[in-house]
Amino acid sequence: MTRSTSSFLIVGLGASAGGISALDEFFRAIPANCGMAFVVVTHLNPSRESHLPEVVSRYTALPVRIAEDNMKIEVDGVYIMPPARRMTIQNGTLRLVATEDGKRDHKPIDLFLASLAEDQGSSAVGVIMSGGDGDGALGVKVINERGGLTFAQTSDGQGPLNPQMPESALATGIIDFALPASQIGTRLLRIARDRDTPEQALLRAEQDDQARKDMHRVAALIRERTGHDLSGYKPKTFLRRLLRRMTVTHCATIDAYVAHVSAEPEEIDALFRDLLISVTDFFRDSDAFHSLESLVIPKLIETAGPDGTIRVWVPGCSTGEEAYSIAMLIHEQLDQQRISPRIQIFATDINEGSLGIARSARYPEALLSAVSPERRQKFFKRDGEAFVVAKAIREMCVFSPHSLISDPPFSRMDLVSCRNLLIYLGADLQRRVLPTFHYALRPGGYLLLGLSENIGQHSDKFVALNKTHRLFQRRETGTAHPGVPLRQLSIRHGNVPSNAPSGIAEVSLRSLRQAIEAQVLDRYAPAHVVINAEEEVIYFSARTGPFLEQPRGAPHRQLLGLTRPELRVDVRIALRAAVMTRKRARRHALIPEEGTHRRVIIDVEPIEMDEGGAPNYLIVFGSDLADPPTPDDAIVRENDGTLVERLERTIQEMAEKLQSTVEEYETAAEELKSANEEMLSVNEELQSTNEALESSKEEMQSLNEELNTINAELTVKLDEVDRANADLRNIYESTQIASVFLDADLVIRQFTPAAHRVFSIRPGDIGRPLTELASVGNYPDLEKHIAAVHEGGETIEQQIEHAADGTKYLVRLIPYRRDDKQIDGVVVTFFDITQLVRAQAQQEVLIAELNHRVKNMLTVVIGIARQTLSGQSGEPDAADRLLGRLRAMARVYSLLSAEHWKEISVNELIGQEMAAFGSNRIRVSGDAVRMSPDKALPMSMVLHELATNAAKYGALSNETGHVDVSWHMTDNRLTLLWEEIGGPRVNEGEPSGFGLVLLAGQVEHQLNGTLQMSFEPRGVTVRVEVPFT
Amino acid sequence: MTDDAAPTRVLVVEDEYVIALDLSQQLEDAGLVVCGPASNTPKALSLIDDSPPDVALLDVNLGGGKTSYDIARKLIELDIPFAFLSGYSINQLMPEFENVPLLAKPCSAPIIVKVIGTLVAGRSQTRCGQATSGQGTEKFFAFK
Repeated sequence: MTRSTSSFLIVGLGASAGGISALDEFFRAIPANCGMAFVVVTHLNPSRESHLPEVVSRYTALPVRIAEDNMKIEVDGVYIMPPARRMTIQNGTLRLVATEDGKRDHKPIDLFLASLAEDQGSSAVGVIMSGGDGDGALGVKVINERGGLTFAQTSDGQGPLNPQMPESALATGIIDFALPASQIGTRLLRIARDRDTPEQALLRAEQDDQARKDMHRVAALIRERTGHDLSGYKPKTFLRRLLRRMTVTHCATIDAYVAHVSAEPEEIDALFRDLLISVTDFFRDSDAFHSLESLVIPKLIETAGPDGTIRVWVPGCSTGEEAYSIAMLIHEQLDQQRISPRIQIFATDINEGSLGIARSARYPEALLSAVSPERRQKFFKRDGEAFVVAKAIREMCVFSPHSLISDPPFSRMDLVSCRNLLIYLGADLQRRVLPTFHYALRPGGYLLLGLSENIGQHSDKFVALNKTHRLFQRRETGTAHPGVPLRQLSIRHGNVPSNAPSGIAEVSLRSLRQAIEAQVLDRYAPAHVVINAEEEVIYFSARTGPFLEQPRGAPHRQLLGLTRPELRVDVRIALRAAVMTRKRARRHALIPEEGTHRRVIIDVEPIEMDEGGAPNYLIVFGSDLADPPTPDDAIVRENDGTLVERLERTIQEMAEKLQSTVEEYETAAEELKSANEEMLSVNEELQSTNEALESSKEEMQSLNEELNTINAELTVKLDEVDRANADLRNIYESTQIASVFLDADLVIRQFTPAAHRVFSIRPGDIGRPLTELASVGNYPDLEKHIAAVHEGGETIEQQIEHAADGTKYLVRLIPYRRDDKQIDGVVVTFFDITQLVRAQAQQEVLIAELNHRVKNMLTVVIGIARQTLSGQSGEPDAADRLLGRLRAMARVYSLLSAEHWKEISVNELIGQEMAAFGSNRIRVSGDAVRMSPDKALPMSMVLHELATNAAKYGALSNETGHVDVSWHMTDNRLTLLWEEIGGPRVNEGEPSGFGLVLLAGQVEHQLNGTLQMSFEPRGVTVRVEVPFT
Repeated sequence: MTDDAAPTRVLVVEDEYVIALDLSQQLEDAGLVVCGPASNTPKALSLIDDSPPDVALLDVNLGGGKTSYDIARKLIELDIPFAFLSGYSINQLMPEFENVPLLAKPCSAPIIVKVIGTLVAGRSQTRCGQATSGQGTEKFFAFK
């Protein structure tokens, strides 16, 4: 183990329920430059965030940090363990490991304080504050062992809310300071300020003879107060423990300490306790245990046989690890041999607190480092961070308080294991203890000592089996064993050395006498017990069975509890009498026996021990050999004279019985009171639980508020989504576009109302594949295309015709893309393009017609040009005529196009043609008649030829003539009359040439009409009749 | 030009007078005899009845929504070769006449005369039993 003791104190604060207010009070007393560091370990709910750091920083000016893995502890800092972590310290650096999910650590304070002690030694300080269990007790124990200081919170009127945890720590007996929370800080500051001084004192003291003398002064003080002589302790050990107490008591020198002790004698007890502590581990020094396992235990089992008993004594057992280790070794070998001798392991120690921890058999993992995985598996049950020794092993061990130095030794032991106890004892005490072991062992029994211990001068009593591992066997010697308790020799009479060797004869005689006395006592003496002033039985004679019995519950040694109920009252009365009078007291009593009663005489006699000490009492249960009792004897016991005397005696007995009943009642009341106290503490625990619940409730409320806020936000979002949905629905309905949304499995997810018309799709069809529905017309590849779009992401368009009604659709298949652009289905859209297709067809017809017309027109133009220009027609002004004719054609085409190639008005046609000649000498009148383009074209040519002729030769060729143009419809025949008046004189046949041919041809050939021309002197008259069928 | 014993008689059906006049004149200039020109179906049919021509040129659209298809059927019935002369393109004709040569307006006289010659020659070959299925004429389909 490498220590990295810091130059400053590191204070581990353990707190649990009710710890907040304790920490508050504690930190209020700590200034910012305190010269210490604080690590706060609490029991935290692993699933909840801790607000402890904020809380603590409210009370202290020191920087408060949440502990993190690898965080170096710095002076003047506060470190708080976060939840769901297991925290230790190593080389002044925090180590944090996450705990298993949802599991809380049972003993986080023990864990941390133990590591703090190992890491920091005398710089470690453990403070146990309010809390609800025993966590921290083992931790402060380790701190104490390593020379550190320990504190526990006590009441100051409003002390720890949950005192269980500090009380458990106090119960270990090693707490240096039991103080209210507010005073712990002050005391710590003082210690931090003074701590260097005693260290230097120690260095000086070790080389100083004066110090040795001082040590003896202190040892004498201890002997005076406790009766234990510790002057034989090794000076270094003694001084180290003394130094610790000096630190605690702020004494810089031993002189000061001695002065302090004389003022406060209780300090002696604290020093005494300190001197007695020891460190033990499971299977510590595995080699020693190995030799025990291989050399000793097989022999023990062999000797005991299947029905025998193996008795082991572990004096100075401390917290029980060594005793349990031996039990495990024996258990293993018994398992292999499949025999079951009785095993009794007596584990003893002076320190009751240690024994309590030993009995609870619950250890931190650190103490199990030398335990193999197999043994852990077999002998320990994991309970959180702690390991609990298996029941089978626990049952093998008996833990009881016993002083190796002052109490009579055990006897007939097969094995005594006393490791690392002698090192605390000086050579003198060692010399006295070893014969005790010799006495306690049966012939051939074994002794195991610690590695640094030896039998010294007692090689005549023990033979070494394994010197390295300090394993010895009792050697049969002629020397006497102490014979009387050590205390008789060493304590009471001070410096009397161990008894000198005596003569063989004397020894034999004494042995004989002892044997005879023992036999007489066993055989003939009445049953008796010896009790101490606390009424605890310290000695039982043989055959106490008829009078005493262990009641139900935990075993104890209280005389009155052990006494049979029938005798209890009498024993109590006799005892009271003896205590009060300090003289022998006698009572007669009856106990029922096989249908009758047996008379019993109870004698109680005080036995004066040391001068001034509380006396012990001998209780003898003698048989009353008078006449067999009758029932009446219960009342009338003694043959006294008068009735009055008898009655008085009876009254006195009644009074005594009443008194004892009152006492019993008081005892019961006491018990009730303590039960009540227990209830109160349970109540406090419940209150703290309630507090925790209330803070949980507050968190729930704030969580609830958050949820409400989120809910409100979601509601708003939902409204928006609803609106967007409504918009979409309206868009679908307004567009009348049939859209079907298919999901990734190509089943219908959604569709627009218009889709119903195309697919006969219904709301119930959502979730069915589209292809399951009735065919959607001649689109056999639909399924294939949908799959292709879904695979490839390409858009596919296809024109189809609906089978049922011939509607034409443009089907567009596009991939449905999510926000992240991934394809998550297909959208199938059907556009009704029936109108469009029809319009296209119509347009094609129109274009074809236009082409036809243009070509026809060009042919006509070519024909006119050729005829007009050909020499045959011989017209002189051919070019003008050609242009005139073409312009006339252009005019009628304009008119027709303005009317969209529908029927045009005859009036307009004629008016326009005549207007081209710019003359107001043309009068136009006629019915409102409309004519089709195929008639309008030739008619316009007719009119053009007539007008051209009139302008050149006829009525319009001079200044005076005019033309009347009139028409009317009769029997679906249009009659057009062209009359020229006032022109030059007309000669028949004058209008000739191509113009006339054209005129006649248009009317007769093209219009299927008739043309009449009359040449009269006033002018030419043309009559055109055209059928309008 | 098969033989000159009797000039080839060509029936011209064309409602547009100027075109009919011009076409007839060009055909006659080429030494052909023009029957008609007829501007409508009744006139054309009566001309055929009076004296069947050797060959015919038919305008398709005769105005007022009328066509020359009835005349064409009659000619087929009489096994008289003919060609359409029209501003329409070939796919606008009725499918039953898809094998009939179509001359697109405006069309120059030498081509018209050549087609007529081919038509007449084709018919005489067929009559002589030397069926060539009129492939010669179909070559003219190529141009429009």
